[in-house]
Amino acid sequence: MSGPPPIEVRDLRKVFRQTTTGQSVVAIERLDLNIAPREVVAIVGQTGCGKSTFFDLMIGLEQPSGGSIRIGDKSPYSDFDYFRGRMATVFQQDRLLPWRSAIDNVRLPLELIGLPDEVQHERSLSWLKRLGLEKFTNAYPHELSGGMRQRVAIARAFVVQPDILLADEAFGHLDEVTAAELRETFLALAREFGSTAILITHQLEEAIGVGDRIIVFGKSAALLADVRVAAWPKSEYLLLREAIQATLQSNRPDPRLAR
Amino acid sequence: MHREEQRESVLDPRFPRQTLVSILVFAVVWEVMSHLAPSLGIPAFAIPSFVRIGQSLLTITPIDVAVTLARVIGALAVSFVLGLVLAMAMYRSQSLENYLHPLIRILMAVPVVSWILFAVLWFRGVEFRIGFVLVAVCGPVFLIDSLDAMRGVPRELRGMMRSFRPTTLQYFVKLMLPAIVPNIITSWKINLSLAIRVVTIAELVGAVTGIGHQLAVAQELFSVADVFAWTLVLVALLFLLEAMVIHIENRLLRWRA
Repeated sequence: MSGPPPIEVRDLRKVFRQTTTGQSVVAIERLDLNIAPREVVAIVGQTGCGKSTFFDLMIGLEQPSGGSIRIGDKSPYSDFDYFRGRMATVFQQDRLLPWRSAIDNVRLPLELIGLPDEVQHERSLSWLKRLGLEKFTNAYPHELSGGMRQRVAIARAFVVQPDILLADEAFGHLDEVTAAELRETFLALAREFGSTAILITHQLEEAIGVGDRIIVFGKSAALLADVRVAAWPKSEYLLLREAIQATLQSNRPDPRLAR
Repeated sequence: MHREEQRESVLDPRFPRQTLVSILVFAVVWEVMSHLAPSLGIPAFAIPSFVRIGQSLLTITPIDVAVTLARVIGALAVSFVLGLVLAMAMYRSQSLENYLHPLIRILMAVPVVSWILFAVLWFRGVEFRIGFVLVAVCGPVFLIDSLDAMRGVPRELRGMMRSFRPTTLQYFVKLMLPAIVPNIITSWKINLSLAIRVVTIAELVGAVTGIGHQLAVAQELFSVADVFAWTLVLVALLFLLEAMVIHIENRLLRWRA
């Protein structure tokens, strides 16, 4: 197994033109970033800092205005089809298709890849079992709790065993207990399958608890800090949190983060 | 009986008491009028009794009902496929929509009578004329409803689907079509009643079979009883078709229960 390829973001720029005023808005201003295979990276930043735009660019839903994102030797935008089954996403809301049962939601990415029906069914079922939803395979999303729906969304992401996983505020809308539980599940699965994971979050506890690295975005996705969590003993997590908080508030790198 | 159960039995759509009462009252008034008509100076044939209407119902020719039904279903199927395919193309291409949308709005404003006259002037075959009129009237409804419904599919679901990188066909089959099923069903309900009315008018002009033709014959014979009987068949046909659509709706949308 070759494992996931490295991710290189070079001089990335994204500019939107506002339809009402015709003015240009810079969402991302010259971002450089490297993400190693199997790394779990948490990206934090204030609302409107360009996190979600970066997420869309990473998925390949948006075309960069300048610069590039390379995953191995491929671009998620130009080589859109190449990443079918190699990249998966978990969103803030579960975004399950309401007309599909839990198992049919999980099998959706497998259908898109075109695997045989029996394989789709077996794999989807085993993932639902793994996430403790074996009694709810035929339940529709509206019959499930928020936490259960997000479990289905996680199963849907992992069912293709992707090289790259992206999660956009995936646990932020859940209660703290459920969110912590699902974070752990997500992280354990990402580690088990050796996927590179990028989590966008505004919750610093989540970033510190999950990420190997924490990338702090300032305005227009300016790279304010790139923190290796392993360099911080658990006893100093509170200090780390304060330093990231200070960085976000001042839009300048806090000196305490230099390690 | 509990209050809730009582309420349910009153509102049960299978036994709508108010509907039964109103139909019964109408029938009694009609029957009384049919007997009083001659003494009021109204010709007896103008308000036939239910016995006379019953006799007309016995003369209903199933082949005419079947022909009209086939015309309606065939034309609606063609309208649906054309409308849906064009809606998908317009959803994919903004410039195509910019060109076609105004044209379709204009087509929708054309009265049915004008379509019938165009059909008579342009085409020779009766079936083609009727089909043309029905498709011209019902097609745009399917198209506009489908297009509006596609535009209304939540952005979140569209983004989720695209993140899994479907082909264009998969995108429509797995997301768009299931998402717009409720709107498609509504369009079918609207178009069914529209098509039943339009087909009758279209059959009045030049057709030698079908309910519309039989209505024209009844009019020539001054037989209100026959007109009443054929109209009853038309209404029953519409209810039957609507019941079929509702049955399909219940099956397809059971996830909303």
